[in-house]
Amino acid sequence: MPITALNVSSTLARRKLGRFLTKRSRREKIRDIMRHENTWREKLVILVPYLWMLLFFLMPFLIIFKISLSVTEIAIPPYSPLVTFEEGAMQIILHLENYTFILTDEEGTYLRSYLKSIEVASFSTIFCLIIGYPIAWALSKCRPATRNIMFMLLIMPSWTSFVVRIYAWMALLKKDGLINDVLMALGIIDSPIHMLQTDFAVYVGIVYCYLPYMVLPLFTALLKVDYSLIEAAYDLGCRPVKTFFSVLVPQTKSGIIAGSMLVFIPALGEYVIPELLGGKSSILIGRILWQEFFNNRNWPLASAVAIMMLTILAIPIVIFFKVQRKQMEAASA
Amino acid sequence: MENTQHNDPAAKSQDPLGAAEQKNAAKSTHRPGDLPGQKASPAEQHKKPILEIQSLTKKFGDFAAVNGVDLTVYEGEIFALLGSSGCGKSTLLRMLAGFEQPTSGAIFLDGKNIVDLPPYERTINMMFQSYALFPNMTVRQNIAFGLKQEKLPRAVIDERVDKMLKLVHMEQFVDRKPYQLSGGQRQRVALARSLAKEPRLLLLDEPMGALDKKLREQMRLELVDIINSVGVTCLMVTHDQEEAMTMADRIAIMDRGEFVQVGGPREIYENPNCRFSAEFIGSVNLFDCTLLSSNQKESLIHTDDFPNPISLEHDVDLADGMPLTIALRPEKIYISKTPDDSGSSNCCEGDVENIAYLGDISIYYVRLPSGRLVASTLPNVDRFKTGLPIWDDHVYLSWDPDSCIALTI
Repeated sequence: MPITALNVSSTLARRKLGRFLTKRSRREKIRDIMRHENTWREKLVILVPYLWMLLFFLMPFLIIFKISLSVTEIAIPPYSPLVTFEEGAMQIILHLENYTFILTDEEGTYLRSYLKSIEVASFSTIFCLIIGYPIAWALSKCRPATRNIMFMLLIMPSWTSFVVRIYAWMALLKKDGLINDVLMALGIIDSPIHMLQTDFAVYVGIVYCYLPYMVLPLFTALLKVDYSLIEAAYDLGCRPVKTFFSVLVPQTKSGIIAGSMLVFIPALGEYVIPELLGGKSSILIGRILWQEFFNNRNWPLASAVAIMMLTILAIPIVIFFKVQRKQMEAASA
Repeated sequence: MENTQHNDPAAKSQDPLGAAEQKNAAKSTHRPGDLPGQKASPAEQHKKPILEIQSLTKKFGDFAAVNGVDLTVYEGEIFALLGSSGCGKSTLLRMLAGFEQPTSGAIFLDGKNIVDLPPYERTINMMFQSYALFPNMTVRQNIAFGLKQEKLPRAVIDERVDKMLKLVHMEQFVDRKPYQLSGGQRQRVALARSLAKEPRLLLLDEPMGALDKKLREQMRLELVDIINSVGVTCLMVTHDQEEAMTMADRIAIMDRGEFVQVGGPREIYENPNCRFSAEFIGSVNLFDCTLLSSNQKESLIHTDDFPNPISLEHDVDLADGMPLTIALRPEKIYISKTPDDSGSSNCCEGDVENIAYLGDISIYYVRLPSGRLVASTLPNVDRFKTGLPIWDDHVYLSWDPDSCIALTI
């Protein structure tokens, strides 16, 4: 035993050793708690989200992925099987044509619509951020009673159907719609502005629908802001605009990222809003998907389009979780 | 100063923990012959006023947090605003920093009214109670932050930051983030950051508020050393009287938005100007009295608590028969088991009802025949108590005539 080999001559050394031993045992205790084996009840609770993810995310994903590796056929289902048995031998045929077709399509329809979708989603996110930040700031600053009313005003529109609200925007934006009528009546414009079926209308729709998803995480982040840091920045000679970017933004980074994700991800695959408000020029990836699935009945190609969109989404999601983990580590340290 | 006791043997124990002595020993500015805690007033030293506050008022609705305060702070001085929470001291500090807009009044810094200047245009820097270090920046970036705003060249900033790091002994922690520092280290960084811009006035908001007791006592003297070595004028806010008395050259006691008394630590302790002051700083026995007679040599004062009239060796500016309060600090009451035979009328007797043993001193609570409880402290000079009064002992209390403070308000 190494302990008996130690020269424990003085009481002091012995006491130190004793303290060392008790410290170790305490450390071990903590380790035991950390390693704590879950009881079957706890396991059951943890199982639920895993099961959910398995059933409603992983399985459909794998099915779509499988379909994307086949070619279209006139059959039910309308694509070639992945696994075939010919002369008693199992055969797995992976078709990568769909992916190569998307990437090398001469007209570039697919890549263009991907880029257009990313552009629309990015700008919508930025607009939501610019509009949402002051709203979140006001929410975090006002008294709790006022805050509740403001929250109601923010969330109440989403109590009505999404499609109804988009139709309402159509009524507002169209040539003889409310906005044009008012502007004409006021004499600001002579002829109606063409707003419906433009990118502008798409942005209006997306920003309008997704703004609450930006405001809520920003609000939570702003609530936690230590305002003495803002005062400290002022005190050290930092002007308000610079203080905003060098102190407030870093402090609300987690909210900015979370809100941006919550807007960017659904906006990228948005179908209804561009379909109803957008013009023919703005072909987004959502419409491509629809066309391939329902008009061309090319399931494999549509699946490949969907898988590629997921890949595009995966990149910001991975970044988001990395940042979040880093922050958690920093906070726990 | 009629009441100061230059030859009082008890003078050493007047300041709690004798901390003021330590402070002035550490200070380069003290003059030989200065009593601890008492320096010539800045005006006497012909110092230049740096900060002048004129009838400054801040109202929140109908409530006046700061009510018509006037104050002059002189160059190189450490001035403490002392008061309990809600007395308006923090509001006053925040108005100086520019975070609160005064309702009325003026603040002159170097003769210029700065009331309308935003905080980022004032040559005043503040060390926050929570330190308010930027969590996403390293120690170096935190200290450099203020200098960067002045758009100084990089070399100048680096040089100044290094100087500050050396000043607060934080050189080896430059690349740490605030969360990797202990409370004391954070305070050093916060101090360095607020000193880096070489402010005309340094504001300290409860500088020791976030530290534990042991570290607090150590940091007080170190903070004073650093501030003095830089030579910056400093205005601090605290609710801790020991902190104010250890660190400050002058103290203002604040209550309900107004100054009750302004003076050096010794002046405030030995010559409180009212009951509030006397009770706020240290502990005190207060007696409701009436003036019997008063002349240049002696004033006689009657109280129901003592059999003999209290005698003071100076006059009291009050008509005979008027009520007044006599304040008597516990350490200035001698306690003995044998009667005082000096023939002085400043004595009484009673029974020891309670003893609070604090280690360095013991507080004796003596019940007088009138029913009044009087506190008296004795230093525990002897490790093994010999001959000290114990519970239920019949004891005799006495005090010097000039230990009594006559308070008319």
